[in-house]
Amino acid sequence: MTALLSIEKLRKRFAAKGHARAHELFAIDRFTIEAATAYVLTGVNGAGKSTLLRILAGLEPAEALAVDFDGQRLALDPYPRVLRDAVGYVHQHPIMFSTSVAANIGYGLRARGVPAREAAAQVEAAMDWAGVAHLKNSDPASLSGGEKQRVALARAKVLSPRLLLLDEPTSNLDGAAREQVIALIPTLIAAGSSVVMACHDSDLIGLPGVQRIKLRDGRLEYR
Amino acid sequence: MSLLDAIAGAFALFLAGDAALWRIIWISLKTALVGLVLAAPVAVLIGYAIGAHRFRGRRVVIWLAQAALSLPTVLIGLVLYLLLSRHGPLGSLQWLFSQSGVIAGQFIIAMPVLVAFTLAAVQAADPRYAETAFAHGATRWRIMCTVLFEVRFGVMAAIISGFGRVISEVGCALMVGGNIAGETRTITTAIALETSKGEFAQGIALGMVLVAIALLMNGALLLLQGDAHGARSRL
Repeated sequence: MTALLSIEKLRKRFAAKGHARAHELFAIDRFTIEAATAYVLTGVNGAGKSTLLRILAGLEPAEALAVDFDGQRLALDPYPRVLRDAVGYVHQHPIMFSTSVAANIGYGLRARGVPAREAAAQVEAAMDWAGVAHLKNSDPASLSGGEKQRVALARAKVLSPRLLLLDEPTSNLDGAAREQVIALIPTLIAAGSSVVMACHDSDLIGLPGVQRIKLRDGRLEYR
Repeated sequence: MSLLDAIAGAFALFLAGDAALWRIIWISLKTALVGLVLAAPVAVLIGYAIGAHRFRGRRVVIWLAQAALSLPTVLIGLVLYLLLSRHGPLGSLQWLFSQSGVIAGQFIIAMPVLVAFTLAAVQAADPRYAETAFAHGATRWRIMCTVLFEVRFGVMAAIISGFGRVISEVGCALMVGGNIAGETRTITTAIALETSKGEFAQGIALGMVLVAIALLMNGALLLLQGDAHGARSRL
């Protein structure tokens, strides 16, 4: 196994109103994500799971002693371009841009300057993968929670991220919608991306080949 | 002259195709629209920058932007007059008593409305729009375009409110433009002049045009917002 991302002394603190000292959410001695490996990140509510994923996605600042990505030493602040190109992130409650489903999935491709014809082919493939091809020209506002989650997964997957961060991908879903999303996860892992999922869902935690990590009392435990 | 007589006279002017009347309407629309078109991109950028970023002194900037909404246009006119007067620092432009001067006034008057409304729209935007754009590799410029697209109805409301403010102001246009017939006489300055002369028919006719413009602009905004609300109700 080779480390895709390794962070030493990762610490997240919040300024606490009325207190001279900042509140420390977590202090992780070493956080390593191996290449092409899937992890479930568990922990009680408020443990910092979502914050940890947001830090890895560049959406939250944090302190880190050393960050190595694919053998390259980086800084987290400002969030480097190499990580922006390599890391995908799906929000717990994904938001859709008010265009079309196809335009949503192709958003990142356009942002990266992929030629229109090539992007269209990749969007088609991603829609087929997520089972949302029939929604291609739909108004995203009309989608159900499960459809939005699948579109969001397709929107992230189409960029072929080397590290994909999923924040509670099934937390707001039930029944068939939840099962459809769970069915997509192993195919994401099989595609060769490293995947980190923050979740409480026992079906996701129990997926074969998935390693477990837990945030407890501000520390990270590998299991 | 009674109000009914004045209204009847106003319709007579419209029906007769009174050239002076239409010239005034044209100058008003032209100066207001040019001022607005020049101000809108700058103001929307400023409104976005303030609304989307955290920086030291931000609250002071927001306070100043909102306070600027209450600036009397006659004061803006006075300051601009002094700047553009022959011995003023911008006197060499020779914009005083010209349409360029009126447009400069409209630009300044529109700015606070456009900035404050855009800022409010951006502040109210769901932060996940910018985060999702960032997470999918968008540049700062693309993130801004994405967020502004998502709050486009707020930005349109800002532009329509800005237009309403500039088309209906009288103080600045009067001081900087000088109310010169056929050159800088706008709807509002003409109403002020005609009323002082006791010529109510043209004043009423021009007032009707102002009301029609206000109804048209706000009707367009309501139609656009209606589409947006309809889309949301399908959630």
